[in-house]
Amino acid sequence: MRILQIDNLTKRYGKITAVDQLSLEVEAGMVYGILGPNGSGKTTTLGAILGITKATEGSFRWFEGKYGDNPRLHIGALLETPNFYPYLNAVDNLKLTAHIKKVKEPRIDGLLEMVNLLHRKHSKFSTYSLGMKQRLAIAAAMIGDPEVLIFDEPTNGLDPQGIAEVRQTLLEIAQTGKTIIMASHILYEVEKVCSHVAIIKNGKLLAAGPVGAIIHDENIVEVAAEDLLALEQLFSPMSAVHKVTRENGKLLLYTDESLTPGEINRLAHQAGILLTHILTQHKSLEAEFLEITK
Amino acid sequence: MHLLQLEWQKWSKNLAFRILTLFYVIALPSLLLLGKRIDQLPPPIGTNEVFFMFPTVWEYLGYVGNWLSFFFLGFLSVLIITTEYSYKTLRQNIINGMTRAAFFKGKLYFVAVIALFATLYYSLCALMIGYFNTDIIITAKVFQNWSYIPRYFLMCMGYMVFGLFLGFLIKRTGIALFVYLAYIMFVELILRWGVHANISKHKSMHFYPMNAVEDLIPIPYTQQAQQFMGQFGFNFFLTPTEAVVTTLVYLSIFLWIAWWVVKRADL
Repeated sequence: MRILQIDNLTKRYGKITAVDQLSLEVEAGMVYGILGPNGSGKTTTLGAILGITKATEGSFRWFEGKYGDNPRLHIGALLETPNFYPYLNAVDNLKLTAHIKKVKEPRIDGLLEMVNLLHRKHSKFSTYSLGMKQRLAIAAAMIGDPEVLIFDEPTNGLDPQGIAEVRQTLLEIAQTGKTIIMASHILYEVEKVCSHVAIIKNGKLLAAGPVGAIIHDENIVEVAAEDLLALEQLFSPMSAVHKVTRENGKLLLYTDESLTPGEINRLAHQAGILLTHILTQHKSLEAEFLEITK
Repeated sequence: MHLLQLEWQKWSKNLAFRILTLFYVIALPSLLLLGKRIDQLPPPIGTNEVFFMFPTVWEYLGYVGNWLSFFFLGFLSVLIITTEYSYKTLRQNIINGMTRAAFFKGKLYFVAVIALFATLYYSLCALMIGYFNTDIIITAKVFQNWSYIPRYFLMCMGYMVFGLFLGFLIKRTGIALFVYLAYIMFVELILRWGVHANISKHKSMHFYPMNAVEDLIPIPYTQQAQQFMGQFGFNFFLTPTEAVVTTLVYLSIFLWIAWWVVKRADL
């Protein structure tokens, strides 16, 4: 089933276009990452499909229209910050959420245990640390076992231990086969957790597809020789070399993994060029991301 | 009912809610009973017995309730809106699956139930105080001023709907409370007496929203008071019917504007 379809969604704030003609499709069972730098329109997009931000143009449809005007009862979402009544404790807050979601008998203790808050269940929300608040929000999103979960920057502002805990929780949820939509500016997080990814910058969709197809592994081999031009002419035409760039008097060869440094060295030697420098670097995901969003 | 249960879950453990309710409950009878300590009163009242006797107890207790509703119930209704904005829980309620209409209705119902309980409590207090302070109980006398009961309810609604309106429009607790107080205590008076009366000394200067709400349960002895202040050539206060109609019209306008804002806003 198509869980979510977004068509040409646009949101303008005066002269600023936060989301620009964005279209996306999310199928059941996907763990869909929306990746983009801060301020790229991720939260605005999620806000629009969750009914709190009014889109300027475009449309979206949940569950192929199965639940009519209010699909949100079947969605669990955590947007930006964990929002709860600070004077109520965890149990009361979750009961409230369950009441809104019309869930008759929420498994509150089970959810609190999952996010490791059972021992603090009677403490007021205002006494929680940021990590605990974030985890409570994840528990709240899980109430009633919704068909889709939406997480916006779920590890934002957490300390390393909190980040690890939240990621672990997300992985566990993802393994149950639930559809998850997650916005993040951290590539590593998306790569770890998601099956599909959409990359957004300045409100525009730059790329979308399975994680493997968007973020592929490439090697970068740095080489140098006295005659850089000859070296470039040698490697540029090769099919195993996707791209050649110059940087600081060196050539950067973007290669298949099949083209090993030894092979490069041999080829150059055969052509009568002596390499003065060779260095292989596994291309970092961040570099790739920066390239796409350039 | 689902919406009312939700509001109760939200507010029953809230400190400000408890304090404001408690103040109203304690202050309503005790402020009137403070009148026991006043022996001599200027004419035309003369004696403090009228405070506690049927049928005038309805007027005096109602007037005390007017002030208390203005403060405590009005504050309460501002708070139940603005805190939902400041805690971002309005946003979260919608994300969790409430419709904006349900949220708005929930607030309106909750306010109506509070007004209902405030009115029941007022009636109960009036009956009790009247019963223990009237020598000869005559049923006709007891309920001679029965129309104070529905008007009291409308008055509570008047203050509270105005509170909701400001809450939804202003969204910030401090500013909304300030505007609420300032408008009722100063701004409307300045508009009426400073501006309107200068342009035209016509009865229309009384048809302002909060003046109408206040006049639902006016200061006792308004009829007599008119004679002292009647140099305007028209009544100083709105008649109950005028006040009821004016209040209903303004309340509908306030609710309509508030809903219009909530329906369209990004939360």
